[in-house]
Amino acid sequence: MSASPRPVIVVDKISKWYGSVVAVNEVSLTIEPGVTGLLGPNGAGKTTLLKMIEGLAAPSDGAVTIFGETPRNNPDLFRRVGVMSEHEAVYGFQTGRQFLEFSATLHGAPDVGAASARAIERVGLADAQHRPLGTYSRGMRQRMRLAAAIVHEPQAIILDEPLNGTDPRQRLEFHDLMRQLADEGRTILISSHILEEVETLADRILLMVSGKLAASGNYRAIRAKLDEQPYSVRIVASDPRRIAAALIELESIESVTLGSANDVMVLSSNVAALQRSIARLARDRGIRLERVEPMDDSLESVFSYIVES
Amino acid sequence: MAEILRLSLRQILGRWRALVIGLLAAMPALLVILIRVLGESELAFSNETIDLIIDGMVIGGIMPIVTMALASAAFGNELEDRTLYFLVLKPVARVSIVLAKLLATLAVAVPLVVASGVAAAILLGAEVQVAGLLALVLAAGVTAYASIFTLAGMLTPRAIAYGLVYVLVWEGLLSSIVSGVRYLSVRGYTLALLHGLDEEGFAVFESRVIEFPAAIVGTGVVIAAFFLLTLYRLRTMDVP
Repeated sequence: MSASPRPVIVVDKISKWYGSVVAVNEVSLTIEPGVTGLLGPNGAGKTTLLKMIEGLAAPSDGAVTIFGETPRNNPDLFRRVGVMSEHEAVYGFQTGRQFLEFSATLHGAPDVGAASARAIERVGLADAQHRPLGTYSRGMRQRMRLAAAIVHEPQAIILDEPLNGTDPRQRLEFHDLMRQLADEGRTILISSHILEEVETLADRILLMVSGKLAASGNYRAIRAKLDEQPYSVRIVASDPRRIAAALIELESIESVTLGSANDVMVLSSNVAALQRSIARLARDRGIRLERVEPMDDSLESVFSYIVES
Repeated sequence: MAEILRLSLRQILGRWRALVIGLLAAMPALLVILIRVLGESELAFSNETIDLIIDGMVIGGIMPIVTMALASAAFGNELEDRTLYFLVLKPVARVSIVLAKLLATLAVAVPLVVASGVAAAILLGAEVQVAGLLALVLAAGVTAYASIFTLAGMLTPRAIAYGLVYVLVWEGLLSSIVSGVRYLSVRGYTLALLHGLDEEGFAVFESRVIEFPAAIVGTGVVIAAFFLLTLYRLRTMDVP
């Protein structure tokens, strides 16, 4: 049996409150080399937690260390740590190349030009590097900000919602880049409010809800738990009574309720199976389906389920 | 630090800000030229013009307002644009960041305010030595104001509004009519420094200046204290 890798980031019973509002409540976790996804709905406290890990915010209680050092007011630590914040603001008057060189210089890179060129190449923005950042699309800005976070080849990388504004192709490239960086032995912490963004990328997922760490572990185990959750689906059909009668016979259906309009509310433990079956059921009975819409498949409801179960 | 200084210069010198403060700084000289064109050829570097133009316009108005416009933007722009995290998450000492921001303000405000005052003084017929003293004292006053308004820009997004109230009420009104306020006023220090360095040339200030040593100490304390407070704030604040 191999020993667990030494944790790079250690969060010990950390809390943050603003007056009577508790943003983060006694969270403890460790993060090892590889990709860790910090997942949670908007307002769960992910960004506040990351800010305390990065030293941008002082914890109200508890402690954080990165490489055994406290990050608050410890500038030298950031020779080994790269951060991309949630804020998408950049210095719009700088070109992408100037932005990278600025970042590399502040990080004390020995060869600023080479480091900048390498980071720009890694995010695939060589062609746009001499354009002002103000002219970049949102996705391009995100990629250049990512390049700035890794320009000094940090051993630990913290990325807050890095995929905001990126298109599917850029997400694939991002996944590849993260895997490369992880394979080089780096520790990467990525936050997101979208499960699908991190489920194929992260070796480990931390689930945060209402300021607390709700679950952690392998994404498959968490995903399996998520799949146990019954989902509500609203179906509008030309003959709701007959479609309701047909649906109740399906194994994946837990309950069916007739609504006041021509709609049926269905509670299903397997939405995918329901979606596959319902079209056939309606066609066989000559019923016209007008709408099939999941009602509560938002992350908030998914996370609520995890917390409550 | 040089990189942050360059960045800060670019930030505080937005096109409109540069144009407005440039025009503001040119006003005393333009006023002197206008008065001469209108036939006041006897206009001289006298008690009356020193009081009206050097104190009233330059020291009481242009020096604090130009410095405030630049210094409050030094950290204010970073906070408003939410880019401050970018600087503090670099291996750069906090003191270097604050120093770079202050120096960026001084690099623009000192030449502008000094040129504003010295140009007006020369046009009025001041001797070169007097103009030199004026330049030195204006530079000290700008540094004191820059230190105050750099902190203000970090504390509140309404630094300009609060700053204007401070300049008009405290520095303008109260320091003119309440003698004790002059011990806690950059304008009071500036007038006292001018008078202390050239009692004859700036005799018009005699009745309303504090002691010369007090002005030197006061200026130094303001510069140091507000610099340290800005540094303390940067170290203890939660960066947005």
